[in-house]
Amino acid sequence: MSIKRTTCPFCRNGCESGVSFDGYQYRMEYLADSQVNKGRLCPRGNSANLVIDHPKRLGYPLLDGKEVTWERAIGLIKSWLGAVEPGELAIVYGRGRSGDEIRLVTGFAKALGTQNLVCGHIEPENSFFFRLDQTRDATLDEVRTARAMLLVGDVFSTSPVAAGPIIEARYADRKNRLVVIDSIRTRQAGFAHLFIQTRPGTEVFALMALAALLDNSLAGIDIDKFCGIAGVERKQLEAAAKMLAPGNVGFVGSAMHLGRVSYPRLHSLASQLVAVKAGKPFVGFGEARMPQGLMSFAQLRQAVSDGRIKMMFWLGGLYPYSYPELFPEMGKVQYRVATSIFRPELPLPGLVLPIPSELEKESTTHSYWSEVNRHPVAAPYSGTKSVPWILGRIAQADEIAEQTMIPVSVEEVVKMAGKMAEAGPVEQPEWLLVGEKKAIGIGGFYDAEERISISPTDARKLDVTEENRLVVESPCGKAELAVYITDAVMAGVLSIGVNAHKNRALFPIRTCHGTGETAVPPVGVKVEKSEMMARPAPETAENG
Amino acid sequence: MAKRIVLRLDYCIGCQACEAACRSRFKGEARIRYGRVTETVFVPLACRHCEEPLCVAACPFDVIRRDEKTGFVYQSNFHCVGCRSCVLACPFGVLDTDLLRSISQKCSLCNDRAEGPRCVATCPTGALQFVEEEEVVEKKVGVGFAARLPHRRRP
Repeated sequence: MSIKRTTCPFCRNGCESGVSFDGYQYRMEYLADSQVNKGRLCPRGNSANLVIDHPKRLGYPLLDGKEVTWERAIGLIKSWLGAVEPGELAIVYGRGRSGDEIRLVTGFAKALGTQNLVCGHIEPENSFFFRLDQTRDATLDEVRTARAMLLVGDVFSTSPVAAGPIIEARYADRKNRLVVIDSIRTRQAGFAHLFIQTRPGTEVFALMALAALLDNSLAGIDIDKFCGIAGVERKQLEAAAKMLAPGNVGFVGSAMHLGRVSYPRLHSLASQLVAVKAGKPFVGFGEARMPQGLMSFAQLRQAVSDGRIKMMFWLGGLYPYSYPELFPEMGKVQYRVATSIFRPELPLPGLVLPIPSELEKESTTHSYWSEVNRHPVAAPYSGTKSVPWILGRIAQADEIAEQTMIPVSVEEVVKMAGKMAEAGPVEQPEWLLVGEKKAIGIGGFYDAEERISISPTDARKLDVTEENRLVVESPCGKAELAVYITDAVMAGVLSIGVNAHKNRALFPIRTCHGTGETAVPPVGVKVEKSEMMARPAPETAENG
Repeated sequence: MAKRIVLRLDYCIGCQACEAACRSRFKGEARIRYGRVTETVFVPLACRHCEEPLCVAACPFDVIRRDEKTGFVYQSNFHCVGCRSCVLACPFGVLDTDLLRSISQKCSLCNDRAEGPRCVATCPTGALQFVEEEEVVEKKVGVGFAARLPHRRRP
């Protein structure tokens, strides 16, 4: 029984993993000789074998939810293309598309004569694509030997395997220091020497103030005003600035999650600014980082709701239309073509084409630490066709080099932050809902997503215990969740897991006024106690 | 030499990778669980392979046995009838029955894998260790920051 080596596709840590097949089932193997992860894998990495032969894998094209042949599917796409103008066509790429495939999709858009090429990966972590001029990437050795570390957001949940070297560095010497800035007191915060809890979505202002404290010459930042907006004390940031002083070797890491960050682009740049001012390298932790395309997602939404888009290719990842609940305007698109690994749960209008998973194809990608090659560990799932095969049947296209980074200067960042701060303190509704993202596998683990975290003060205010359920109503959805009382969240703040689609649907997609970017910020909600109990009442002699 | 799974609580980030690795191998049935002990302490719970295992004593069909040489408590799923006696007997609550197959799930220390248990191999931070009993005492494995300053640990 041979072990096939590959690189885990679920985040950008570049963990090496092995998959073996004994003729009956695929199994994960832990490669102790791997340089990056020493054989360690997170829950997502452990579920890679489940993706290969998952019972929900899609093995044939679907037209309006019904099975069709590949010939008919390709024929239909060609006839639909003949019926629309190039300007009425939009091409969206999302998670799961490798660098080579994105280059091909860019060429495909050019061949079809459309400028509507959009990055559909709208998670805030994609904003690490924006880079400060002086930002330097950290190496794994720099993380392992760090003495002063700053983590912004929940890095441990984004890349649990990357937490290994960070914790080892934290314990290596009594004088080593770890600072965490986050709006939720996560488990990661428990490891911190200094934990600074900001108001949800206002981490950027704490970061800008910290940058100004690290470099007194940084003009245009009113430290006290920014501390006020973020809800942190100046002396906390001064202590952090002391720990992170340029003399101490270390790094700055940042992670962003959906429903947690209000200004993704500024968040990315402010984290980098702190790294630059502290004289430290930077790591942007996230699951994927993709080129921005020729049109922004916000512009695409506008074009779709105006009825200017008649046909759409959605070349996405695990499921077609990664954010279906967040995209109600889609009904206005007449012809829809989506790629998918799994069978959609509801019959979707248009075509859904089955594609191989990332573990079944050769690709090259960038991890946090280096460029890595991913090798196939299994043959493509029966009936699937690769994205290059599909695009090749429709039009002849050449690969076009992607943009590697979008550079931004320090002055622009300070100006951007000033503009955001001018709007005054971020509005504080009575209840603010924030998103938490955990690294959970495909084979279950959704229990934690069924509950909503609430502070003990609020639990008393609403007169609820963990036996109760809460009805949460946001501007775009409603959900009923079990109560989980924890002091990890501030009073007035509720948090839910955002891996589950139904939870994500509570967060509306917004367009930032300052930058025009797409963001999924924390949202004000209405909350009330449900009549339903969280668990069934204990059995008694009467009810049996 | 008897080897045991030991948890260094200082290093545990609560990611549940151990449980995922176990599920991934045993068709969705986890034999290591992730328990909420108190409001602020979450720990992976694995079989202790006790010196005097109550599950062995409770099993009416001698399906669970203890290897006196290695101290390894093992079970044959094939002969298990799912009576739940071992589940009720276990003082640590780490045994449970699977709902589908109705047989008890007992940690086998991954005896089909030469390198040791999968949960230990996968642990992203090295919180789970597979070490000999003597080493645990000598090197004080698991006695560290969390033991000294429990109030500093948060969920």
